[in-house]
Amino acid sequence: MNYHFDWTPIWAARGLIAEGLAMTVALSAAALVFSTVIGLIVGGAAAAGSRAARALALAFTETMRNIPLLIHMYIWYMALAFLRLPAFSCAVLGLSLYSGAYVAEVVRAGIGAVGRGQMQAALATGLTRFQAMRYIVYPQALRIIAPSLASLFSQLIKDSSLASVIAVAELTYQAGAIEGQTFRTFEVYITISLIYLVLVTAASQLVLLIPGSRNEAAAGRFADA
Amino acid sequence: MPDVILKNLPFLLNGLWLTIDLSMWSIVLGTLLGLVAGTVRFVRVPVLDTVALVYIEFIRGTPLLVVLFITYFAFPALFGYHTTAYRAAISGFVLFIGAYLAEDFRSGLRAVRPGLIQAGLATGLTRWQVLRHIILPQAVRRVLPSLFNQYVRLIKFTSVASVIGVTELTGAGLLVNARDFHPVTILATIAIVYLVLCIALSMAGRALYAHFAVRT
Repeated sequence: MNYHFDWTPIWAARGLIAEGLAMTVALSAAALVFSTVIGLIVGGAAAAGSRAARALALAFTETMRNIPLLIHMYIWYMALAFLRLPAFSCAVLGLSLYSGAYVAEVVRAGIGAVGRGQMQAALATGLTRFQAMRYIVYPQALRIIAPSLASLFSQLIKDSSLASVIAVAELTYQAGAIEGQTFRTFEVYITISLIYLVLVTAASQLVLLIPGSRNEAAAGRFADA
Repeated sequence: MPDVILKNLPFLLNGLWLTIDLSMWSIVLGTLLGLVAGTVRFVRVPVLDTVALVYIEFIRGTPLLVVLFITYFAFPALFGYHTTAYRAAISGFVLFIGAYLAEDFRSGLRAVRPGLIQAGLATGLTRWQVLRHIILPQAVRRVLPSLFNQYVRLIKFTSVASVIGVTELTGAGLLVNARDFHPVTILATIAIVYLVLCIALSMAGRALYAHFAVRT
C-alpha cells in the first residue's frame, strides 16, 4: 500500500461539500414530509378503508416499492420530460413515492397493532370515523411505529444520493465533482460517507420528537435486552 | 411488444441475465458474510466483535452508491489494484447487504430461548455444537422474512450498478434509450421486469417461511 494521503484538497473544497450537504438535507427533508403524508393516507386507507380503497392502497404500495428508486428517478426525469420538472422536483417526487410506499406499509401495520376496541370505543363516544382516526388511532400507532419510521427516514437520506444521477447537486454529486478535479479518490469518498453517517445518526434521533415515542423506544430497548 | 423492445430484445435479455447474475452472487456471498458477522457479534468474539461492529455501522450509515464508488474507485486507488465494474459492483453489494443481514441474523440469534441453549449444554454438547445444531437453525428460520426483504431490496439496488457502467438491465435500457430514444416505453418495460422479479422473490420467501416457520 503506497498510497499517498493528501487531505488538503478536501479541506479546500469544503464550500462545495457544504453546498452538497445543504442540498442533501433540503432534498431529504422535502421527501420526508411528502412520504409521511403519502404514508399516512395510503397506510390509513390500507388498514381502515373500504374494500376498494384497500385494493387501491395495496396496488400503490406494491408497485411503488418494487420499482428500483433509480428507475423512479429516471422515469420522472426522462420519461416524463415533457412535464419539464426541474431535477430537484423529480428527485423529491421519486423519493417520496418510493419511501411513501414503505411508510404506508409501516403505518398499516401500526394501525393494525392498535386494538380494535380503541376504534369501537371512540365511535361509541360519538366521534366521527375521521376524528377517531385523528385523535385515537393515529397517535397510538405513531408511537408504536416510531422505531421503524426512524430506520425508514435514515434509509431515505441515504437513498437521496441517487438524485446525483439526474444531476441534482447534492453531496454525492459534489463528491464526484471534487474527485474529478483533485483525484483524491479515497479521501473524498471516505469524507462524504462519514458525513452521511453523522447525518443518518442525527436523523434517526428525530422521530423521538413524536410525543410519547421516547417511552416506546425505551420499552423497545428493554424488550431487546 | 413495442418495436423498440423487440428490436433490442437480445441486448435487454442479456442485461436481465446480468441483473440476475449480480443478484445471485451478491445474495449468496452477502448472506455468508452476514451470517459470519452476525454470529461474531452474537457470540462476542473478542476483537472480531469490534471489527464487525465498525463494519456494520459504517455500511449502514453510507449510501449504496457511495459504497460502489468506494469499491470501484477508492479501494483500487488506495491498495493499488485493478478491478472491473462487474467485480466492484459485486463486492459493493456483498459488503452492503452483508451489514444489514448481519443485524437481522443477530436479532434472530438473540430471539432463541435461553432454555434451549442451557438444555443443549446440559446434554453435553459443546458451545460450538449448540450454536451449530440448536441456535442457528432456529435463528435462520425465524429471520427468513427479513432475509427475503433484504434480497428484494438488493435486486432493486443492483440497478445502481449501471452508474459505474455495468450494463445490467437498467444500464442496458439506458443504452438502448440513448440510441433509439423511447424513454417512456423503455423505462416502463424495465420497471415492470423489476416489479415481476421482486414480487416473485417475495412470494417465494413467504412460501419458504410458511414451510419452515418455527412452531412455538
